[in-house]
Amino acid sequence: MARPGMFTTRRRDVLALAALGMAAGTVRPAKAVTPSGQLTVGVHITLAPTWLDPAETAGIITPFMVMYALHDAVAKPMPQGNPSPSLAESWSAGEDGLSYEFILRKGAVFHNGDPVTSEDVKFSFDRYRGAAHALIKERVESVETPDPQRVVFKLKNPWPDFITFYTVASGAGWVVPKKYVEKVGDDAFKKAPIGAGPYKFVSFTPGVELVLEAFEQYWRKTPSVKRIVLRVIPDESTRLAALKRGEIDIAYSVRAELAEELQRTPGLTLRPTVGSAPYYLYFPEQWDPKSPWYDRRVRLSTKYALDYNTINQALTLGHSHITGSIIPENFEFYEKLAPPVYDPDKAKQLLAEAGHEGGFDAGFYTCDVAYANLGEAALNNLAAVGIRAKLRPLERAAFFKGYGDKKFKNIIQGASGAFGNAATRLQEFVVKGGVYAYGSYPEIDELFPQQAVELDRTKRAAILTKMQKLLDEQTMYVSIWQLAFISGVGPRVDQSGFGLIKGFVYTAPYEDITLKSA
Amino acid sequence: MRQFIARRLGYSLLSLLLLSLTIFFFVRVTGDPATLLVEPGASEEDIAAIHQQFGLDRPLWVQYGLFMLNLVRGDFGQSFYYQTPVLELYMNRLPNSLLLASVAMAFSLLVGIPTGILAAVRVGRFWDSAGKLFALLGLSLPSFFVGLVMILLFSVYLGWLPSSGSGTPLHLIMPAFALGWYFAASHMRLTRSSMLEVLGSEYVKLARLKGLPQALVIGKHAFKNALIPVLTLAGINLVLMINVAVVVETVFAWPGIGRLLYEGISFRDFPVVQGIVIMGGTMIVAVNLLVDVVYAVIDPRIRLEK
Repeated sequence: MARPGMFTTRRRDVLALAALGMAAGTVRPAKAVTPSGQLTVGVHITLAPTWLDPAETAGIITPFMVMYALHDAVAKPMPQGNPSPSLAESWSAGEDGLSYEFILRKGAVFHNGDPVTSEDVKFSFDRYRGAAHALIKERVESVETPDPQRVVFKLKNPWPDFITFYTVASGAGWVVPKKYVEKVGDDAFKKAPIGAGPYKFVSFTPGVELVLEAFEQYWRKTPSVKRIVLRVIPDESTRLAALKRGEIDIAYSVRAELAEELQRTPGLTLRPTVGSAPYYLYFPEQWDPKSPWYDRRVRLSTKYALDYNTINQALTLGHSHITGSIIPENFEFYEKLAPPVYDPDKAKQLLAEAGHEGGFDAGFYTCDVAYANLGEAALNNLAAVGIRAKLRPLERAAFFKGYGDKKFKNIIQGASGAFGNAATRLQEFVVKGGVYAYGSYPEIDELFPQQAVELDRTKRAAILTKMQKLLDEQTMYVSIWQLAFISGVGPRVDQSGFGLIKGFVYTAPYEDITLKSA
Repeated sequence: MRQFIARRLGYSLLSLLLLSLTIFFFVRVTGDPATLLVEPGASEEDIAAIHQQFGLDRPLWVQYGLFMLNLVRGDFGQSFYYQTPVLELYMNRLPNSLLLASVAMAFSLLVGIPTGILAAVRVGRFWDSAGKLFALLGLSLPSFFVGLVMILLFSVYLGWLPSSGSGTPLHLIMPAFALGWYFAASHMRLTRSSMLEVLGSEYVKLARLKGLPQALVIGKHAFKNALIPVLTLAGINLVLMINVAVVVETVFAWPGIGRLLYEGISFRDFPVVQGIVIMGGTMIVAVNLLVDVVYAVIDPRIRLEK
């Protein structure tokens, strides 16, 4: 099983990686099943045509809901690993860290019957223009295709995160058929896409529904469900009603009271999945000696003031994860920290020691309005220990603009669902110059460039672990939770696919989904 | 007459120009669409790439100039979210909206006009009070609430109707009722007041003095004249039903223009919002222009007015 970062400068490890990749990626003979039945998914968000083309993968998780069905990648997050060999059966890194070679599996074909070749991989990489494309392309010197089964990426400089960005944090590794795209053009491709995924395109009505049909020659296995329909139902209550009536088999995003209702309904199953979005408190004035937040004890007091489990129970029925970190637990180089403990007395004691006996007026608590309910709950907890703040919910775009422009003061309730690994998250939120870093700590800053050039994974992991521990010691952030995404599953579904891929909140891999009646 | 039409046409074009200016700048006040197309915490490079892709990095006046230039050519621009021409999206959704609006309008007229007449004829009595209550509920109950109650009752508990979507006549019943009810109340109120006005006029009194039967007085003499303002309002309402049935179409997942507008607003898809507002505005202006011209043909005092 290949895992990100298994690439090192040591030949022994490279060989081991290749061998493991081979083992995990061995083509399983297709099961002797004939796909049957239909699964209808009630989707909470509008389906966009751009999601049919991996070249335009935006920096959000949602397009992967479609891509896992229609397309396939050289390697991608799978139940076996993150990433896991897919169209490539293995990969290896050059000893100098300047090249990565992928061996494509034989027998993988597109929906039109054409084999997946190295030319398709190179073509797909070259036409990729989605999230992080500039970052990836400026570091890749060339892509070579010595033969139809081999692709070699040559980098300008050693880049330890190449595999992460190529296979997990972007859509650059998802493969489209070169001949077909060149023949029909980009616009026509979006209207009738052909991929190498487990499901073929049947029809798409923008904003309404996408209909897919099982591709029986899919290399991993023949899908069990004949037809999958992704139907947009924007209203949460209507989605639940449709699930109750059996009009749909899966309903994405059912929250709070409606989730409780779902849980109470016989025959329906609640399926929470935890994504890659930790929510946290941030204190932008912690570097200002005149601010109360300058004193670490004050910041630490908020950590003890929050009643994590009660908030979690009330808002996500206890399914969010209390990790104590701003790095998602499914990220590479994530370091597990001691989970925070609710201890209001300790919080009051810390405040008193910091000279704030009886508390203080903390100004504004600024947050994204979509999660103002979390803010209200946290504010109540803070007020209970004496930290009095006013909730300032802002519309999402305004919130992130102000946050990024470093306009906010007092307390910020932030979140990030961006792709990457621990290093990329630290770069944006912790290290000097980060988009959302209002200040930084020199001892953390000086470690960052060291890990960025360290090709030995073990050594790099050690540096990143140290950074995360220092971050925790400084109480630069107070993590609230890693948010759970709650969905509902109807009685016809046997294997829904939820939770099979760690950190992926939608149902996948599609070829693993089964119906009871099928 | 030509001068009158030319003057009205000029006003109409000026209205549309002002509308284009208003909507163009209004949507931009709402914030940066790029922020909604990436995950929180996305890099500045990704956001800058989106700005460049959609031309949002250009000065506002340049963006407006291009928008108007394209509009004159019949090009409403490309949707940020769908990456599809706005006109194509609009035309794809239009048949669904026309269907929903037609049924909802038929319902609203079939219910609103008879109840309005009944309330006017029985003014101050039970039917008038019942009509007033109907109008009060119709105008004050939000359509999302009506929609959700209907889904709960007819889909979840009784299982008679599909909860959402489109494709069969059964799918149409609940959204048409939820949309039409508000307008039925509005038509009922106007019919009632218009009928009351006509019923108090001299020629209706004369008809009664001549001993004509009540049904003939109401049906032939009063109703025809009272209907003119109701039908004028119905024309405008039909345009609104087609273009801004946002809540009903969202609750029932009805794939019409109202839902497209909702999606456009949700994703700050400027070209979509601009396109729908301009199309809706053009329809309203066209209906008003038509009504003005018809009035002018009927009544010479209007066209000779300076």
